[in-house]
Amino acid sequence: MPEQQEISLSILKKRWLKFKTLKRGYYSFVLLVILYILSWFLPLLVNNRALILSYEGEMYFPVVSGYYAGSEFGQDVPGETIYRQLQATWETEDSDNWMIMPVYPYSPYEDITVTGNKMYDPPSSTHWLGTDNTGRDVFSRLCYAFNISISFALVLTILNYFIGVLIGGSMGYFGGKFDLFFQRIIEIWSSLPMLFVIIIISSIIRPSFFLLIFIYTIVNWIGMTYLMRAEFYREKSKDYVAAALSMGQTNFKVMFKHILPNAMVPIITFFPFAVVGGISALVSLDYLGFGMPPPTPSWGQMLDVGLQNITKAWMVFAPISALFSTLIMVVFIGEAVREAFDPKVYSRLR
Amino acid sequence: MSKNTLVDVKNLSVHFPVHGGVFSKRVATVKAVDGINFSIDRKQIVGMVGESGCGKTTVGRAMINILRHVAPDVEIGGSIEYHFGDEIVDFASLSSSEVRKYRSRVQMIFQDPYASLNPRMTVAQIISEPLQLHTDMTNKEQAERVGWLLDKVGLQPEQARRYPHEFSGGQRQRVGIARALATNPDLIICDEPVSALDVSIQAQVINLMMDLQDEFDVSYLFIAHDLSVVEHISDKIAVMYLGDMAEYGNAQDVYHQPRHPYSKALLSAVPLPDPSRKNRKRIVLEGDVPTPLNKPSGCAFRTRCPIAQPACAESKPEFKEQAKDHFVACPLVE
Ligand SMILES: Nc1ncnc2c1ncn2[C@@H]1O[C@H](COP(=O)(O)OP(=O)(O)OP(=O)(O)O)[C@@H](O)[C@H]1O
Ligand code: SF4
Ligand SMILES: [Mg+2]
Repeated sequence: MPEQQEISLSILKKRWLKFKTLKRGYYSFVLLVILYILSWFLPLLVNNRALILSYEGEMYFPVVSGYYAGSEFGQDVPGETIYRQLQATWETEDSDNWMIMPVYPYSPYEDITVTGNKMYDPPSSTHWLGTDNTGRDVFSRLCYAFNISISFALVLTILNYFIGVLIGGSMGYFGGKFDLFFQRIIEIWSSLPMLFVIIIISSIIRPSFFLLIFIYTIVNWIGMTYLMRAEFYREKSKDYVAAALSMGQTNFKVMFKHILPNAMVPIITFFPFAVVGGISALVSLDYLGFGMPPPTPSWGQMLDVGLQNITKAWMVFAPISALFSTLIMVVFIGEAVREAFDPKVYSRLR
Repeated sequence: MSKNTLVDVKNLSVHFPVHGGVFSKRVATVKAVDGINFSIDRKQIVGMVGESGCGKTTVGRAMINILRHVAPDVEIGGSIEYHFGDEIVDFASLSSSEVRKYRSRVQMIFQDPYASLNPRMTVAQIISEPLQLHTDMTNKEQAERVGWLLDKVGLQPEQARRYPHEFSGGQRQRVGIARALATNPDLIICDEPVSALDVSIQAQVINLMMDLQDEFDVSYLFIAHDLSVVEHISDKIAVMYLGDMAEYGNAQDVYHQPRHPYSKALLSAVPLPDPSRKNRKRIVLEGDVPTPLNKPSGCAFRTRCPIAQPACAESKPEFKEQAKDHFVACPLVE
């Protein structure tokens, strides 16, 4: 009886269940997902602007609404309000004004020009990982750089996959002249020394997040395209495709409804490793100084200044361990995914 | 040609160009099918036999117009005229998009029950796909029809939610049959539908197909390797050799009075306890089958034919009606 009631599971669902049993990869996945989601709320968690502020009976939300001059809240500073100081003043004065600051009240951008910040401040209870050569808080920069690194890798990978599936899939599926044409293009393309091309481009144009994504996509689309070409080429000659066509299904539907779900194995198993590649790519560009424009927080740039100030251990240690633990978690995920997709479990179906 | 004709295949040829060299120049041609003629009537079962590589599958795929999909540069000659009511539709010359609206009329059952069902779709999704494409049934009606079809092919309607990998080969082939029947087609091409199955269930599946043929009033082109399966079930038998049709006629005639030397050899290899032909001699063919890349001139069979004459090399033998409804491509046995 229980045999009969067991719900049929798609292969993908079975693989997900298998993945969940692989603890190391699964917990890395959960942790990374949580951290990444949290990192989108960083302005509420790690920031030097107050979340809520009540001044003379009126409410302000500096985190959301942005710049307020110090004079607005009766603070005698040039430029923007220094909320931490203001809060301390109000507390000692025991005034009716109050504010709620983020948990970690330092922004990744405020340097020594803001009074109270010092260069090369070693780790302490205020600056958990110390400050860097311009007095910026290392922990705060580390957090924001995490968001940028992962976002960069994800956007890059998804874009590459999109192009790969579209072009590679069509190459494999339609074959013929289309296939031949793109094969030649890919051959020419892949023989260009791409790192130099990137360095040249980004020394001419000031790079930004999307420009870097664009440049890297131009380089990276080839890998996924070749994989997808092979998958679609193999799948299209299978009889289920012939069956779909013989009942009048359109090429578009056959490609994306029938073949693509059967070509998901390389897409999913390759994903974590593509993310590793994306993160490392950004780090190395930033390290070389051709990456995100300053003062964008980035691990590569932090590594660079850290190595220039090698005696200030925290400045080296922080980005290296952040990079290391992120990469190793992604690799753990990749490992588990690969094991979950191991064909031996479903001997006939892969 | 009777007015009962469903499809008339005239002079059908399928040539695959072979490309090679740096510039992918055409270096040769695989003549997989080389000008064949036959027809299938309504509610008729035509058995097609021949050795591996003689072009049976290619004929079947030409008849459902999906050759161009795998080989975009294939050259198809002749005509495949379907008579759908008053309409005459030539599947050999129409493009895939023009053929689309007639696709529900001709379906195929494939040889490999593992490759012919999409492993990512449930049985219900697989069988209802043709219904979505060719009917305006609501989801509920589709689900009912799927259940009904599953029942017809001897599966339980509750199994509709399962995935192909949860079925045995025989059960999968039943799903394939249900899918082919879903839109009430006029013709089903059965490409060796049982040869991948366990011997013990081959008969079951064939019997099921015969029952369904009766019930759905559908015609079959039943492709098989050997004559013994085909003889039982077919009204007509077509014997193919290396892209040519050697013999075509009523099943009884071809089976009991084969005329073409190749059919005779094929039949002599059938191990049947048939008392009337107990003392027949087994004809063993000499030599290998030539490849369709490099076909012998004249009669393609001449390299192995026991009665070949020098004249056989000169011109391709005419496919001639030597007796009523009995076509043979060999002038020497007339
Ligand atoms: N896409 C193709 N490109 C080139 N040659 C092809 C192609 N498809 C089939 N052929 C050739 O056409 C010939 C006939 O093949 P086909 O599959 O029709 O034979 P068959 O009679 O079905 O054989 P089997 O009994 O093994 O299934 C073979 O020589 C094969 O190599
Ligand atoms: S034509 Fe000649 S070679 Fe061909 S089957 Fe007849 S006798 Fe044999
Ligand atoms: Mg075949």
